[in-house]
Amino acid sequence: MAERPIKTEPGGKAVRTASPFACGPACGLLAHVKGDVLVRVEPGDFPGTGHICARGLAYPKLVYHPERLKYPMKRQGSRGEGKWQRVSWDEALDTIAARFREISSTYGPSSLAWVMDLMGILTVDALLEFIGACQGTFVLPAGCGDSAGPCADRVCYGSPWWYGEDYTTRFDKPALCVVWGNNPADTDFFKWRNIRDAKENGAKLVVIDPRFSTTASKADVYVPIKPGIDTALALAMMNVILDRGLHDISFICDHTVGPFLVRSDNGMFVREKDFVSGGSEKYVVWDSRSDMPKCYDASNVSPALVGSYRAGVVDCKPAFQLLRELVAQYPPDRASEITGVPADAIARLAVAYANTRPAASYRGMGCQRTFHGDITFHAINTLAAITGNISFEGHATFELNHVAFLSRGVPNLLPLMQLYEAIRIDKPYPVRALWIARHNPVNQDPNFNKMINELIPRLEFIVVADMFMTTSAQYADLVLPVCSFFECTDLISPVGNGSHNYLQLQQKVIEPLYESRSDIQIIASLAEKMGMEGFLKESPEELIKILLASGHPSMDGVTLEKLKETPMLPAAQSLPHFATPSGRLEFYTEKLKGFGQELPVYLEPLEGPSTPAAQRYPLSLLTTHTKYRTHSMFANVAWLREMDHEPALEMNSADANPRSIMDGDLIRVYNDRGEVRLRAKVHQGIRPGVVNICQGWSPGDYFTGTHQALTHDTINPVQQAIYEPNASLYDVRVEVEKVKEA
Amino acid sequence: MKKRYGLIIDLERCTGCRACTVACKVENNMDSGTGIKIETIGGAKQDTPGGAYPDLNMHFLPVACMHCDQPPCRDACPTEAILKRPDGIVLIDEERCNGCQECLPACPYQAVIYDPAQALARKCHLCFERIDQGFEPFCVLCCGYGAMFFGDLGDPNSHISQLLAQRTSYVLKPELATGPAIHYFPPKAPRQP
Repeated sequence: MAERPIKTEPGGKAVRTASPFACGPACGLLAHVKGDVLVRVEPGDFPGTGHICARGLAYPKLVYHPERLKYPMKRQGSRGEGKWQRVSWDEALDTIAARFREISSTYGPSSLAWVMDLMGILTVDALLEFIGACQGTFVLPAGCGDSAGPCADRVCYGSPWWYGEDYTTRFDKPALCVVWGNNPADTDFFKWRNIRDAKENGAKLVVIDPRFSTTASKADVYVPIKPGIDTALALAMMNVILDRGLHDISFICDHTVGPFLVRSDNGMFVREKDFVSGGSEKYVVWDSRSDMPKCYDASNVSPALVGSYRAGVVDCKPAFQLLRELVAQYPPDRASEITGVPADAIARLAVAYANTRPAASYRGMGCQRTFHGDITFHAINTLAAITGNISFEGHATFELNHVAFLSRGVPNLLPLMQLYEAIRIDKPYPVRALWIARHNPVNQDPNFNKMINELIPRLEFIVVADMFMTTSAQYADLVLPVCSFFECTDLISPVGNGSHNYLQLQQKVIEPLYESRSDIQIIASLAEKMGMEGFLKESPEELIKILLASGHPSMDGVTLEKLKETPMLPAAQSLPHFATPSGRLEFYTEKLKGFGQELPVYLEPLEGPSTPAAQRYPLSLLTTHTKYRTHSMFANVAWLREMDHEPALEMNSADANPRSIMDGDLIRVYNDRGEVRLRAKVHQGIRPGVVNICQGWSPGDYFTGTHQALTHDTINPVQQAIYEPNASLYDVRVEVEKVKEA
Repeated sequence: MKKRYGLIIDLERCTGCRACTVACKVENNMDSGTGIKIETIGGAKQDTPGGAYPDLNMHFLPVACMHCDQPPCRDACPTEAILKRPDGIVLIDEERCNGCQECLPACPYQAVIYDPAQALARKCHLCFERIDQGFEPFCVLCCGYGAMFFGDLGDPNSHISQLLAQRTSYVLKPELATGPAIHYFPPKAPRQP
């Protein structure tokens, strides 16, 4: 890594640290400190190039924000009324310990639940240790919009990570980059840098998005799709590819379940024992040389990919034949009607995707935030599989010593979207106490009115540990001031989200401000109050040494001292073999046969164009991310607010004109669930029929209401069966009308 | 050889992320306004494209003080507070500036702003204090996508001069003959519908 000169102030120093926040990439930062004051932040050294964004540069404004929570406070009056009384840490912790004991003995320990967003690894492990010791419930956070697609990655690849993005993107020099429902140029530095580098090496960029984003503005081809319909586009692309014989037969035969025979009676893969008495559990292919069924690994086998066969008494077809039958239903002209993308554009894209190799597919969280978002990834994965656009060039992951933090017990795990039912009807756990740490569920999770009217009242005790009086904190019984990440030490890695895989140290550079404490300190002192012996007695640095000491080869040479100076990467290694039941890429999966989703079938979004919802509420609502905020963070920072000062509903003039809405008008956006009032931003960069609010704003930023009053918490049982159900945040219909201003 | 400090900004690389805008606030302690602003070239409003859906185009144009050879702001200043250093950097002398704001309309690039908190005209000074100590301007350091290049345009062997020689570039409002020291690499040609 090239050393660059660093300008420090006289008497000041620069410390390398890293951002743990939920924008994903975990940027390395150089914090400039003078005395005990964080004076500025600049990009930290990083292999390739350092990076910082407008938000990262504004961190000192967040740290020294006048509205930071300064001491623990107890609610006075009713929830949400905004009356608080300052209390000591002792009193706050005594209260929590007493209420937890009470609720745990009344409803059982699983009634105590913790919901938190991405944080440092040590903080998460420390909280898990505490929750495990309490036998409490840990709420998995990915379902707040980011768990549908990953369900498909688990099914197709057996991805060990949250997100199997490496399989479709990690090519040395992609010749084509296809971005599905994602705007990395604004929201994911590392991903965009990879795409930008590929472009500068001559790759073409295709962006599929209902909204003409910054990323779309850099594209060679912009594909203006209707939202939530990407599966139909992928099926039509496969239709063209198979029709023209552009698929990669050897990849399909060698690495996918394509040649495996599937029983026509029950949809399960044929096993040898199905037609040979005493046969094995091995998967079976139709050997076209001998015209016989054979085990897939038999010598000299030449598997058929198409046709209908009979193995013993079992009628069967290769999985690839079943895929062919599915995609045959989606010729480009039919798909064009569904997706809104012209048929010739679909055909051109399909041919380019099959012929320009390697072609990387960047699958954004945007295209999977509909009810069937898991199938969207399933379809894109299948498209990549049949064209051989799958990468085995993975990176290693660090194997940390998490086990050391689970010795006191293992927490109950509850997906975020199942928290609603847990609170409402006690299934699967009767959650009555909620601890919210660095998450803002009342603002960021769907169905605001249900949350306020049905869930919050059922909770007997709510603790919020945060830096600010967030929307969620306003409904708490007790708020605890947490320090910023510059005020505590932790370990950071963004494993598996497709950006980078460096392990970095988040170094404490200043002392905690006011009476704030780190999440770890809070948990340690609460543990003491609850009579847990010897809990988190070590310093954060000592705890990190425990985490690093897993003894796994990936940790060779990784020390706390080295991490203080530089980010570290484990040695590259090939991606693990597909950890699926078949050991192959499963575009056909037995597991989902019961749901009729063994293949990536196209299913209309819950509030799709032909549903009753669409008859009453003709516009599709998106709530995308923006460069001006990270979720609800930074909305209160004046430097950023100066550039994006109020919420707006983006709409095309084709939708605004018939409603007599002009740019800047006050409007009401509504459906059966609720409404929000804000200004219209009328422009051409969004598909007619689609409207968008860049999210992160709080109720107080709107004239009335909030965008989450429009969203719903309907769970997809398929996702629940695979991994975690997702919030279908972009599967929402609304109507918009102008409001007369006084 | 006469020094002539300047910038190249690659508009194909620029994503309008505003890191430069906030970096300028950090370096210059500007709570309102900035020495480098991002204009959206496309639609009428910030971050919106021009054209009709779906045949659209948009790019971003960072605009700062051009550090002109012939700075019109200097000529408009009644107190002679605007100076041009031998290395080309145009500066506002805060001791001499009386806050009359006559330089604001004189700048064809709207690159001078008024800071009501200090009752002064302010603008990009190319981080001359950093440059004098051998560092690049803070916005250039913070441009994560590598869209900004700083250097001596007066030295034909400098990296920035070599880049200029290799690629097509342009300056804003060349017809005014102000002699800007900020050069732009254009965005790629608009897509064919």
